Amino acid sequence: MKLAITVVVLLLLTLPATSGLTQSPTGVLRIRVRVKADDAAPLRGLARKRFFLIPGTLEQNRALIDAIERQPLVTRDCYYRKLDASQALIDWLKAGDCESVYCREVEQEFVAGPKAVPEFAAAFVKSQTEFGGDATGRKWLTTNLDPNIRDGFYRDRQAVISTLLKQSAFPALSVMTDRNGTAYFTDLGPGTYVLSNVVPTELGQTAVSWNCEVQVKQGDLATEKPYLISNKKDRLVKCVGLEKPIPACN
Amino acid sequence: MKIIILITLISVSFLQRVDYSRFSHATKKHQAECKTCHTVPTKEWSKTSTHPDIVDYPDHSACVSCHRAQFFKGAQPPICSVCHSKTSPRNEARYAFRNPASPLQFKIEFPHDKHQDVIARLFNTRKPGIDLAHAPAQQQNYNNCTICHAPTEIVDDMHGAVAKVFKGAPTNHDSCFNCHWKSQQPVAGDCNGCHKLAAPYNRAEFPTRISSKFMHEGGGEKSNHVLECTACHINITKSKTLRGLKPDVPITACTECHNKEGLRQDVSKELAGIDKNRAFTCVYCHAPNVGSLDPPASHYLIAERPPLKRKDIK
Repeated sequence: MKLAITVVVLLLLTLPATSGLTQSPTGVLRIRVRVKADDAAPLRGLARKRFFLIPGTLEQNRALIDAIERQPLVTRDCYYRKLDASQALIDWLKAGDCESVYCREVEQEFVAGPKAVPEFAAAFVKSQTEFGGDATGRKWLTTNLDPNIRDGFYRDRQAVISTLLKQSAFPALSVMTDRNGTAYFTDLGPGTYVLSNVVPTELGQTAVSWNCEVQVKQGDLATEKPYLISNKKDRLVKCVGLEKPIPACN
Repeated sequence: MKIIILITLISVSFLQRVDYSRFSHATKKHQAECKTCHTVPTKEWSKTSTHPDIVDYPDHSACVSCHRAQFFKGAQPPICSVCHSKTSPRNEARYAFRNPASPLQFKIEFPHDKHQDVIARLFNTRKPGIDLAHAPAQQQNYNNCTICHAPTEIVDDMHGAVAKVFKGAPTNHDSCFNCHWKSQQPVAGDCNGCHKLAAPYNRAEFPTRISSKFMHEGGGEKSNHVLECTACHINITKSKTLRGLKPDVPITACTECHNKEGLRQDVSKELAGIDKNRAFTCVYCHAPNVGSLDPPASHYLIAERPPLKRKDIK
């Protein structure tokens, strides 16, 4: 009888304390990334950038963080200049903050006419012949671009990220920010994580790295205020990035 | 004894009889390289398609090399009915490719996260003069989810009216091959790169609708629902596979506008309706089949109240 009572008491003690609301065993981290290209520029949401959540503390991930910080940055402009890409292509990519040609639709004005991008124009001619029409030719012109021009910068960057993250003892999660700079990590086990962009983000004349420790609690449904990330210090900002000048091209 | 053996043999041969009117990719001898039978693109694709694609069944040679006996069996060989709608030597009519009545034999492997990195931004859907709640002043034609998920017209199950509700899924290779035609892996000829053999299944035309009154193109005069897809479908950018992937929209995506002080209190109002009458049906977002269930805890959390079950309301 005593044993039965002891078991019941122990079971009751192990039950989670509930205060009306049922707690989920996992948590959610809502991040909002807001940046300023310079002091005069307005604060804006950092859109379409991937952030990683690495299990463990900063100290536990020290080797990885050191490797991230030591990793030389190849900027988009430097990569494409080295390939002798046209200025029109460099400008086209820059206008959309694109890491590859896939990120934007190639409109007619960039295929022919005064704003034409020479690489697109040449690929379009090949595609027109191959696919027998202007519409498919333009939509599918990326299939006739040189692979390095097409997405070499993106592939190199992915290779760097993948190599770096292999140093982490646990698999990292990743999400991409929406146009407001918001993103959600869901189904997170409670504990400590390192939030990182792994590869510095170009912001005008500087590049920013974020590597911050965050605590995830169970039961958070992201109804609270978001975890604010920025390159500028502020009392509400919980993760301030390390900003360095953009390196010169080699 | 002899009779028993004879019956057994006849039964076994009867049970093992192959139904040649059904083609299965799972048959071991059908698992050679896809190009053994399918040509990419189909010859004369331009007659039926705007882009190079597989738009027809393989030629007779793909079948006859092994199935000569079945090919010339009787006036109406069952094997012909795999592709042909009329089994007659004088009739070439074929089912649409692929036959929508046949179960699917492959599942698609599509990593949303990889694609999100190279695409993913709102297509310029703003109407002149309309200012979206969260849209930046200038937008460009970024490639985004609508490359594959275009608005689809369906018959609204509640009102019987045709409505543009859910975003469709691709039904041809147009949106794949514009990148994966010949250089970006997996390329057009590498069918296994995306198509994985699976147990035959019938794809639901549309996902189960929970908030069936939601319209992607809606949101009042300002079309406030026309947002970047990932603003509400928060888990898509982390998804490496289609397995287990759900539309995954948290209630917070709705209540940023629909349950905000000074704005609207749509969730709180309906919960108050249940307080007054436990048979109350939530109809603002849901059809009666969903609206008559117990509201989930997340809805009560949004309304800053402890969750309740209808049966516990006096």
